[in-house]
Amino acid sequence: MLEYSLLAGILFGLYFGLVALGLNLIFGVMKIVNLAHGDFLMLGGYGAYIVFTDFHVNPLITLLVEIVIFVLIGFPLYYLLVPRLQASRDPEMLSLILFFGLSQVIEALATLRFGSSERSIPGTVLGDGPISLFQQTFPVAWVVSGAISLLAVGAIYIYLYRTRIGQLTRAVMAQREEALSTGIDVQRISAIAFGIGIAGAAVAGVLSPFMMGSITPSMGVGITITSFAVIVIGSLGNPLGTVAGGIIYGVALMFMQTYFSSWANLLPYLLLIAILLVKPTGLFGRRMRNA
Amino acid sequence: MVRRTLAAFLIGAFVALGVCGTSARAAQAPPTIKIGTLYASAGSFAAISMPVHKALLLWEEQVNAQGGIYVKAYGKKIPIKIIAYDDQSSTSTAATLYNQLITQDKVDILVSDSGSVLTSVAVPIAREHQMLLFDQTGTGMNFFTSDNRYIVLLSDPISNLWPKNVAEFLVKDGPKLGIKRVAMLYSTNDFTGSQATGFRDFLKGSSIDVVYDHGVPTNTSSYTVLIQTIKALNPDAVIELGYPNNDISFLRDLQGSGTKFKMVFTVYPGLETDLLLKTVGEKGLAYTYTYTPPTVIKYKPDYGMDLDTFKAAWIKKYKDTTDFGFNAVAGYVTALVLEKTLATSESMDQMALRKAVFGLSGKLRTLDGTFMLRGDGAQIGELTPLGQIVPSGNGEVKFVILYPPEAANGKAVYPAP
Repeated sequence: MLEYSLLAGILFGLYFGLVALGLNLIFGVMKIVNLAHGDFLMLGGYGAYIVFTDFHVNPLITLLVEIVIFVLIGFPLYYLLVPRLQASRDPEMLSLILFFGLSQVIEALATLRFGSSERSIPGTVLGDGPISLFQQTFPVAWVVSGAISLLAVGAIYIYLYRTRIGQLTRAVMAQREEALSTGIDVQRISAIAFGIGIAGAAVAGVLSPFMMGSITPSMGVGITITSFAVIVIGSLGNPLGTVAGGIIYGVALMFMQTYFSSWANLLPYLLLIAILLVKPTGLFGRRMRNA
Repeated sequence: MVRRTLAAFLIGAFVALGVCGTSARAAQAPPTIKIGTLYASAGSFAAISMPVHKALLLWEEQVNAQGGIYVKAYGKKIPIKIIAYDDQSSTSTAATLYNQLITQDKVDILVSDSGSVLTSVAVPIAREHQMLLFDQTGTGMNFFTSDNRYIVLLSDPISNLWPKNVAEFLVKDGPKLGIKRVAMLYSTNDFTGSQATGFRDFLKGSSIDVVYDHGVPTNTSSYTVLIQTIKALNPDAVIELGYPNNDISFLRDLQGSGTKFKMVFTVYPGLETDLLLKTVGEKGLAYTYTYTPPTVIKYKPDYGMDLDTFKAAWIKKYKDTTDFGFNAVAGYVTALVLEKTLATSESMDQMALRKAVFGLSGKLRTLDGTFMLRGDGAQIGELTPLGQIVPSGNGEVKFVILYPPEAANGKAVYPAP
């Protein structure tokens, strides 16, 4: 059971790394907390569900389309909300309130449109039967989700470290005012990061019916809380540390389920408290500050 | 002449008194009967709350179209008005709103939100304000005590009674089938936690060995590791007790992991069959055991619509926005009990209402079966038999009723193919 829990935890953790990736990118660049992150994920899930049920399109194709759509949604949304926030005295605190409101609006509209019942996509859409991995069998959806998470992390890495825009993004993450003074178009860079951030949530959303069993309009809040715990573990503002945070969360969750199942929902909060007490900057905090 | 005049006077006096009496009674009648309730449009319990609430709204629309319901206390038909607030699945919000319904809105009748979690906060509040709580589907066993006269459970049996037929099937038919070792996994909330307690109690003293007995948080969405843990113990039967989200995740992970158990019992494939078919699929539900829903048994009601008529009315009003299932039936049963209670209660006093509800016990038969109350207000009728789902091959499923023997219409397919 030990090996199974460990491997399952890594696969599940990779997915949660993907879930939290966008939240951390947005925080890293804009220093705002997008409390509607889980709701964008939920919308991504419903997008895949509707396209699959109405047009029988494989969710992996929808995933690619959603990346484009959500990046495009992110642009105007950024210019509508964020510059005003950053002009305020306490953008971080105000972002909590504003995005909480946005989260409630999205959830309410989604409930009106989709109803409150659970919805899902058949697990066999991603492939038949379980997959054997190191002599242990796992649902094919877990392995596919883990692989997509790795691809997404790789893409973010290439974007941040191998592209010109990524270099500028890291400059904004490191010191926003200095970046501004050197002539970097901070608003444009931030808008791109915002779009990528919510597109990341949408990608995770497409996979959520397979990883979480079902989707509902109210799933966003819980997802945002877990994502927040994951990025605090990995380090706030460090997108790549998020993957490590996700794996730690996933492995810890699976061990809790195996040995102390009743207490498993305490885990995100226990990890959050433990990290804040032991290493408040997160496991990768120092590396992030020097980026 | 004098005698005729006296007789005419006496008749006139009686008529006048009668008219005055009726007028006085009618004058006291309120313009509407206020029924206060909560619903959850969002959050963990929205899926079980909205169908129940929408059934109440459907009933309100129907009875008000006919001029209201007959209220014996006022001797006339009076329209009803449902005052409903959204608790968003939050118990703290629900507590505030229950208080508001009683103290600010001064409702005549208090109806709790659906499910044990959102009912749990209403129980002490209703008792404190001496309001009778019309508990729709809050079946937690600790709600019902002999010293609390302010609660009646309407549409579901008390939770610890639910697994009676499952446990008796295992105890009586299990050994013949070779079932000796049972694993139980349940969500830690009043509804399924009480069912787990009941299940343990029913198995006491039997030859069945419970090899795994663990709870998981109700928001659990991943069961793969738990399934592997159970598989390692090689049980002959697995009992999973959860809310819809739990059952969906459990059954999907079971299918996805390729694990086969000889017998799997879950709660919601029977209660919300349409929902589970949409989310888990016919293959994932094949040969699982569950509570047989009233949609299969099709009780002939003595009062209210039968199942087909109610379902047609539901689909006409709500179309695809809310799945039709057991919770829709539960909301309608609440409405029928309220209707009957008001038609028979001598006054609107809370204890008179209680007496009227208890007067229905054993006499009211709805599309959900026979309504029957225990002295502490717990529902002990409306008990659903154990069934097994058999695939039909066309995307739909059929139910075979297995237990109790008097209701059975087939034999268990064990071990599951």
